[in-house]
Amino acid sequence: MKRRFLPLLFGLLVPALCTCAHAQVVIIANPNVAVSSVTRAELREIFTGASASLKEGMQVTPVLLKQGTVQDEFLRLYIGKSDSGFRAGWRSILFSGQGAMPKTLDSEAAVVEYVSHTAGAIGYIGRATPHEGVKILIVR
Amino acid sequence: MRRCSIAATILLFIHYFWSGSPATAQSMGDLNLQVHGYATQGFIYTSSDNWNTTNSTDGSPAWMEAVVNVTAQPQPKLSIGVQARYFLLGTYGNQIKLDFAQGDYKVNEYFGFRVGKVKTPAGLFNETQDIDPAQLWILLPQSIYSVAGRDSTLAHLGGVVYGTLSLGESLGKVEYRAYGGERVIDTADGGLVQFTDQGFQMPTGLSGPVYGGRLDWKTPLSGLMVGASEESDNPSGNITRGTFQGTVAGNPFSTPHVFAQYERDKLMVAGEYRRGTPNDIIRLTGLPPVYVAIDQRSFYGMASYKISEKLSGGLYYSSSLDRKAAFTSARYQKDWALTGRYDFNPFLYAKFEEHFVDGTETGYSITDNVGGLKPTSRMTLLKIGVSF
Repeated sequence: MKRRFLPLLFGLLVPALCTCAHAQVVIIANPNVAVSSVTRAELREIFTGASASLKEGMQVTPVLLKQGTVQDEFLRLYIGKSDSGFRAGWRSILFSGQGAMPKTLDSEAAVVEYVSHTAGAIGYIGRATPHEGVKILIVR
Repeated sequence: MRRCSIAATILLFIHYFWSGSPATAQSMGDLNLQVHGYATQGFIYTSSDNWNTTNSTDGSPAWMEAVVNVTAQPQPKLSIGVQARYFLLGTYGNQIKLDFAQGDYKVNEYFGFRVGKVKTPAGLFNETQDIDPAQLWILLPQSIYSVAGRDSTLAHLGGVVYGTLSLGESLGKVEYRAYGGERVIDTADGGLVQFTDQGFQMPTGLSGPVYGGRLDWKTPLSGLMVGASEESDNPSGNITRGTFQGTVAGNPFSTPHVFAQYERDKLMVAGEYRRGTPNDIIRLTGLPPVYVAIDQRSFYGMASYKISEKLSGGLYYSSSLDRKAAFTSARYQKDWALTGRYDFNPFLYAKFEEHFVDGTETGYSITDNVGGLKPTSRMTLLKIGVSF
């Protein structure tokens, strides 16, 4: 009887574990960013260009990933927009003369490298990605 | 036809050039120099009444634009941007113009300023109405954002000050923008069709002072923004009719807008009301003065929904009424629009839009429809665009 439930249990657990694995996006910042946590609302404002500073007044500069599962997961979790909708928002800012596009990099390693060397930079990577030289911000 | 071939060639060139290298920007060293752009090709078919100088009743591809933007950010607080546009709609445009050429210095969240030729922050969509890749719609509601006259209302020579003020956690925040300078209305501007329809010509266009401001209240309810703007204009210039020459001038008039927008996940709902009351006196030597007065009340309500990752759809109703116009179909316009957009990838998209138009106030001219205007028309629009 118990054996009959094992496949069912397995079937339920595997998708749940996969969901958790996909959710492993962490927010990183240059060590000079003088906060240890950010809110979801702050992240949304920073990464959609609505604001360039955290509530504490710290000026930050977002850096984006070009594509991939981490990018998709970040947008789903913290921005609430599809990739095309997200980029459309930045195009509105750029082509209306209200700002420049954020730096967009090809890989998570490149994001870590850029953030670690750029004062005020804030980005996102997968949890498993080595992140020497940057600090991880807790999302409240 | 030749113009359309050129348009198609440019579109294809940009698409193929960038499809192999879909980088979103070309950054150059410490200047943080970026080059971006987009190009679109449209197709218009109307069941009756030619629209905006096109032969749309036969189906017309005479609608395209190509935009190049160069932005440099040598310091975090300073950016310099130039944007050029080639625009063609029927016989409107067909030239390259500067959208803006500006320096922007953002002191902090509370205060910044731009100077040069800058986009004018009036209404909900004025600054972004021309940015096709960022819009779901092919045409924004024509009652307020007429595509034929937008080149003159998009930007002004002068400056903008801007900033954001926090009202605290429980009240949200306010974004403010105030501007002033000079507005130049080009001689080929579609907004002057009311004059050209009556046989007048303005060889040097119109120009005059403009100033105004916009306030957006980002309410504590996540995704809800409520705003208002007001602008004062006073254009004037030279005018001719046949062999007669003279001037056109009027009293300063203000154009208030109130608007609201709500965005939540895949849903967007917005609405706007505007009242425009331009008035002009045309004085031609040897003829009695001609008075032109408009009292246009316009509004729209729109909703859009992101159906899937690549597909979006939307619907709007747009209405305008000139309360000082004669009781003909040119006095009003009501427009139901149904639209869809498909993003093939982050850089290439296609749009389809169907309009059910009642009234001929905006976009329909008697000079384009010598057999007379019919009061109702259906309009089918297609557009393909590429951006980088």
